[in-house]
Amino acid sequence: MLDGLCDKIINRLNTGVLLLDRNFNILMWNRFLAVHANQHDEQVIGKNIFQVFPELPRKWLERKLSSVIQLKNQSFCGWEQRHHLFELAHSRPITTDSDFMAQNCTFLPIEEHGQVTQICILIEDVTDIYHYQTQLKKTLQELALSNRIDGLTQAFNRKHWEECLAAEFSRARRHHSSLALVMLDLDHFKLLNDTHGHQGGDKVLIETAKAINELLRMGDLFGRYGGEEFAVILPNTELSGAEEVAERIRQTIALKAVDYQGQNIGITVSLGVAVLAQQDKRYEDLISRADNALYKAKFSGRNRVSLADAS
Amino acid sequence: MNAFDLTEDQQDCLQELINVAMGQASDQLARYLDTFVYLKVPSIEQVKAEHLFDTLNYESDATAIVSQGFFGYEGIRGEALLMYQPKDSHRLADLLGYEADELTFDEQIIDLSSILTTTFLNVFASQIDNQMSYSAPRLLSANIGKVNEHIQQQAFNWDLALKVRISYQVTDYSFNCDMVLLIPEAAITNIKAVLDRILAEF
Amino acid sequence: MSTNVLICDDSNLARKQVLRSLPESLSTDVKLASNGEEALAILSSENIDILFLDLTMPIIDGLGVLAALKEQNKQLPVFVISADVQPEMQSKVLALGAKAFLRKPIQIDVLYEHLKRHGFL
Repeated sequence: MLDGLCDKIINRLNTGVLLLDRNFNILMWNRFLAVHANQHDEQVIGKNIFQVFPELPRKWLERKLSSVIQLKNQSFCGWEQRHHLFELAHSRPITTDSDFMAQNCTFLPIEEHGQVTQICILIEDVTDIYHYQTQLKKTLQELALSNRIDGLTQAFNRKHWEECLAAEFSRARRHHSSLALVMLDLDHFKLLNDTHGHQGGDKVLIETAKAINELLRMGDLFGRYGGEEFAVILPNTELSGAEEVAERIRQTIALKAVDYQGQNIGITVSLGVAVLAQQDKRYEDLISRADNALYKAKFSGRNRVSLADAS
Repeated sequence: MNAFDLTEDQQDCLQELINVAMGQASDQLARYLDTFVYLKVPSIEQVKAEHLFDTLNYESDATAIVSQGFFGYEGIRGEALLMYQPKDSHRLADLLGYEADELTFDEQIIDLSSILTTTFLNVFASQIDNQMSYSAPRLLSANIGKVNEHIQQQAFNWDLALKVRISYQVTDYSFNCDMVLLIPEAAITNIKAVLDRILAEF
Repeated sequence: MSTNVLICDDSNLARKQVLRSLPESLSTDVKLASNGEEALAILSSENIDILFLDLTMPIIDGLGVLAALKEQNKQLPVFVISADVQPEMQSKVLALGAKAFLRKPIQIDVLYEHLKRHGFL
């Protein structure tokens, strides 16, 4: 009577139950598997598992099953390592993008007189977990990115940019490699804001950042330092190379006209360039030398590149 | 001495049970993996939750940690942490008898961890007339920085745990890994009762 | 005449297990050691007829004791009682001159059989 009851319960479980003999022939399966594999008992019972489920990684699974027999230990296969073993339909076909049911599989040895006579495979549907974990991971990645990015210009924000500089600074020190810094500031930005409004100013910031970004190499680190001030870290770059980059930025921006509500807004930038020198004890020293050079560019007429003093 | 400290006799008894379990487990392993497993005397000590990270970090520069929960009758339960070192990873697939391209590194260490944990604890359980069930093994992280982060971010609901550390050395593959069993304080009392029962038989 | 027995194991429980398993018909004088170093000290000063030896021990382990005895050319029957039952370990132990390998936890009938075989019963 209890046997009959167990059968009923096994067939109502929302977990797949598959019973194999030592030659991996299927002795029994439950309704959950029949439904999700969409096959009839007569196509399955008595047949070899690899015949019924040709998608199974045969060599790997044979080794796994033989470990269960030999060690008399249960064994696992989780969705994080293998999304699924069996190609089964799942119960979220509408609201998820998975083709097959994500699975946690457990392989249980069934012993009789100290010998493993059968192996029971339990197959849990973890499609929901898979789905939510994947979404969570994506969201966390987006969150991590948005923590680093300035929302308006899409350049790195000041905090992340400074972390990058700190890392590059110590790397350059360690490897005795060169490191250059370009600080730049939009000329007469306050006037521009007064004339065209803040939305016009924002448009200029966005377009300027975009134009600068297109001029940079992979590995250069571009950030928004303050209101209308930007900064570029140029790893492995000497003074002459950095000056070239700065000059190219200056020319590109000067030739560019930003279209705002049918009006062309002309802009220029002033730039200061500094390279890592012996006297820079901290990365902040490098920033302040580049910043000084920038103010030199401002005071000597704007729309120009100025180099920091070597000492 | 607090209520969770083991008496000298209890400690000795647990050590011997672990020794026997280790021995039989490594015999099974040696046959399955077709290699010799070198055994060292296990260490048993208490660890405070706030120092768990320090002791793990101090003992090994593990690159990967796999966790598996275990639970048996009489309230015996805990968590097994298997800790691997970076230099030992490349011959794992070989050791396990898989083709290297059949499975990822994560899967290899999860597989091995599960074998080490369940083999040991099954023998241990049978000695105390118990039987263990296991949760699915989980890779905490394959990166030590991340493991530290993971452990430090946890708010533990225990203050004190019994820590049993067992080192496995597979000489043919010059491969080492540490198994650390952590038994939370509520389960320590249950273990002590089991140990007292065994000691009473002598 | 009584038999001088030395039981060497780092575990108190394991020593008791061996002690309790010794047959009553064998009148014994038992000494205990908790590691290989202690055992070697006792062996050098006392007349011991049989040594029950664990393998996994601190300071000097069972293999170390066997090696030392072999070097000293001591013809002493040693029964290794160990949890480390890997075939490689068993053959290593027998090669070092141990008379028997008994697996832990010790089984009385197996112990008796070995004692009989070596003339102690």
